[in-house]
Amino acid sequence: MFRMLKDSMEYLPIILPLLTLQLVLMITALIHLFKHPNVRRGNKVVWVIVVVFVNIFGPILYFLIGRGED
Amino acid sequence: MKPFIAFTKKEMLEYSRSYKIFIFLILFAILGMLSPLSAVFMDDILENFMPKGVKIEITDPTNLDSWMQFFKNGTQTGLMIMVILFSGMMAKEYEKSTLINMVTKGLSRKTVVLSKFTAALILWTVSYWLCFLITLAYTKYYFPDGKTANLGLAVFSLYVFGIMLIAVLLLGAVTFKNVYGPLLLTGGFTLILFLVNIFPKAAEWNPLQLANSNMRVVQGILKLSDLKYSLLTAAIVVAVSLVSSLKIFDRKGL
Repeated sequence: MFRMLKDSMEYLPIILPLLTLQLVLMITALIHLFKHPNVRRGNKVVWVIVVVFVNIFGPILYFLIGRGED
Repeated sequence: MKPFIAFTKKEMLEYSRSYKIFIFLILFAILGMLSPLSAVFMDDILENFMPKGVKIEITDPTNLDSWMQFFKNGTQTGLMIMVILFSGMMAKEYEKSTLINMVTKGLSRKTVVLSKFTAALILWTVSYWLCFLITLAYTKYYFPDGKTANLGLAVFSLYVFGIMLIAVLLLGAVTFKNVYGPLLLTGGFTLILFLVNIFPKAAEWNPLQLANSNMRVVQGILKLSDLKYSLLTAAIVVAVSLVSSLKIFDRKGL
């Protein structure tokens, strides 16, 4: 346990930015999703689930094929 | 020159409005972080997956593992994502006839093609080198005394390979008026490169070398003199693709 804690401290400088980027990606997609009245494919609920639960590729998929026109 | 700059700016604006710049930067930054991270973690991951009692010899990860991950992620994930993101570069213009107005108002067709190429090139350049710098920084941080030979050449050759794919993709995008045509052309082109690679004599000239022997360059087995013909072929492919794109686009109905 102690070793693991020490290890994770060691990896923190790389994991923290990584998680931040994923969070930025997710939140940007969610903000876009809530600000726009409709999506190109499927419905909003499905996209919220995809964006939140599919790591990295969920938000990207939303921006590429799900995003409604401005 | 002025229309060229203006149209390139418009292309960049479009990439920014369609969130492509955002996706590119974040994705390549993530790829850049994943490479050193998976190199550092590989030991622990393997240990966890092994059944109890089974011992395997794992050497400590080195900076070379980190670069191996970089070139693997870079070629497989990075290039693939780039090709997919750029695949619609002309399809939308054809589909919505958005170019008709500009071309009839005097914008030359050559400018359109060259601007499309330049904008894609800018985006690829920035995100690729960003990815490289992040990997470089973390690799230096986690493996301070790791050494590499010709790292610059290895990274540059993969960059050139990316440029070549963009040029082929553009040729496909101009020729076929949909999203799938360019993807198929680029895929087919890569497949041919793999087939050519079967013949040892052709391998030296094959641009595929730029994307699959980076590790041997980093280890110092291959040098610039071994890659120069591949670089030359790649440059020729870029030139031929661009010229044919210009010629084909001149005759295309918008």
